[in-house]
Amino acid sequence: MDSAFAAAVRRRLEEVLDPELDESIVSLGFVRGLELKDSVLTVTLKLPTFWCAPNFAFIMAEDVRRALSTLDGVREVRVALEDHFAAEEVCGGVNLGKSFPETFPGEAESDLDALRDLFRRKGFIRRQEQAIRTLADAGLSFGQICALRLADLQLAGDRFIVAGEGGSVSVPAEPITRYLKRRSEFGLDASPEGPLFVDLSGRPFTPEGLAAYLRRARLVRTSLEANVFLCRALLAARNATEGGGQNVPHG
Amino acid sequence: MYRTADGQEIFVIDGHIHFWDASPENWRNQYGEGWIRCFYDYHTALSPAEYVWPFEKYCKYSEEDLIKDLFIEGYVDIGIFNSTYLTEFFKNGFNTHVQNNVLKQKYPDRFILCGTFDPRWGEAGLYEFRRMVAEYPIQGLKLYTAEWRNGSRGWKLTDPMAYRYFELCRELGIKNIHVHKGPTIYPLNKDAFDVHDVDQAATDFPDLNFIVEHVGLPRLEDFCWIATQDKNIYAGLAVASAFIRRRPRYFGEIMANLLSWLGPDRILFGSDYALWSPRWIIEDFMAYELPADIKQEYGVDLTLDIKRKILGENAARLYSIDIEVHRQRLKSDPIGRRLQAAA
Repeated sequence: MDSAFAAAVRRRLEEVLDPELDESIVSLGFVRGLELKDSVLTVTLKLPTFWCAPNFAFIMAEDVRRALSTLDGVREVRVALEDHFAAEEVCGGVNLGKSFPETFPGEAESDLDALRDLFRRKGFIRRQEQAIRTLADAGLSFGQICALRLADLQLAGDRFIVAGEGGSVSVPAEPITRYLKRRSEFGLDASPEGPLFVDLSGRPFTPEGLAAYLRRARLVRTSLEANVFLCRALLAARNATEGGGQNVPHG
Repeated sequence: MYRTADGQEIFVIDGHIHFWDASPENWRNQYGEGWIRCFYDYHTALSPAEYVWPFEKYCKYSEEDLIKDLFIEGYVDIGIFNSTYLTEFFKNGFNTHVQNNVLKQKYPDRFILCGTFDPRWGEAGLYEFRRMVAEYPIQGLKLYTAEWRNGSRGWKLTDPMAYRYFELCRELGIKNIHVHKGPTIYPLNKDAFDVHDVDQAATDFPDLNFIVEHVGLPRLEDFCWIATQDKNIYAGLAVASAFIRRRPRYFGEIMANLLSWLGPDRILFGSDYALWSPRWIIEDFMAYELPADIKQEYGVDLTLDIKRKILGENAARLYSIDIEVHRQRLKSDPIGRRLQAAA
């Protein structure tokens, strides 16, 4: 595998998220190995525990396959799960292009779209909370935050310049970019005049409503972040006790 | 008993302990090994280095290890056995009420013994359940919804047959139900960690107490929402408590959320021994202060009075333990005498 190809694979894998954690499988360290042989690309994943839920494992394996199957020079993508209780079933199903209910006959009532959607929504709330927190930390009031339109943000390098009544402020771009990316996936008002912050049904917030909303949102964030920490710690412990293999380096 | 620097005594009930046998001889298949290796990763991931055991000891530890780690060195006064069966993974089970009862018989005032039910036992199991309660000093139940059984990978508290068992709990006077979610449950396309079935059961059985172990992690948010609705839902701190050393800030945020959504009276300490040893967790917990910005943002505090509730008083209330009476009794049991001799 030449380095340009490996870089292209890596870029695509960075876009694949652990649906439950809403983080890239590359930055989480789940990608354990890549191999290209006779145009068959095999991606080996190692999850934080032997028992990670088979539905989420299936989603990740399916997304890896989708993300890489259109790469030049790749005839087929295979996913391998290292040391997982349901590896045979999950990989057997995904690599043959089977659906989840076909893979687990009698054990699943439907495909995983509802589960994906539920966790995309949780991820939206977490990202939104982080974006609002970023703006509040920069000194904006809830009133100012609620009044922001998409057009009020200007990207400047790794900062956003946010226009407001009392002059503009500069905030780190990353939390806002992450939020905007997820926001764009929900078919919400994307016009320049559209409100920056809306709930999942598209309604803008009032300053009073925002306080109550944030109380729940920060609980979602706490839960997700605690879970991300635990998964990282478990994977590190697992690699330390079991050894072997090389993670794809991530920056 | 934890003694503060100024001599105050804090009665400690560890709401979540195990005495397991995961020795290779007891593995039924690769899942038994997979189970204990996964536990060991939890152990090494969050324990301070000086508390990490070798894997062999972790598979099977002695009675004396448990007595020492909990009672002699670990500040614990009473431990609640969260019996865990896993008979499809372990030949004799992982830590069944039968195994745990050996220690309960030796030190009756030191342990609370949980039994279990599984709705997939069906009608015939109702009789077995009665017999378990008649033959063993069962004071509570531990339910693990991701237990495998005859090709099924789990169940829900709202299964009609589960309700038959809850009705039987009422009849037999068993009030405390410890619930733990795991990664597999039928149907597999649903979120296995979802706790909404606990919400429904808690609404339908308001006279039973549902202690959700691991505060519903990884679904803390769902847990807090259901616990806000149902006042008979309690937070079991096991796993979350072990964050305190490596990620004190996450621990603080979890505590702040629990205190703000549930209040201080429905949170129960648990170490999940032997996943982790209670000693370092309790020492860290007693020394812990919520970071100032978290206190301010959430409008809560973790005071000594609240720590006292979490470490013992809340669980004592659920299990009708009079702390003063019990404290006196413990002084003269074999462990109490060992403690006095060492003092």
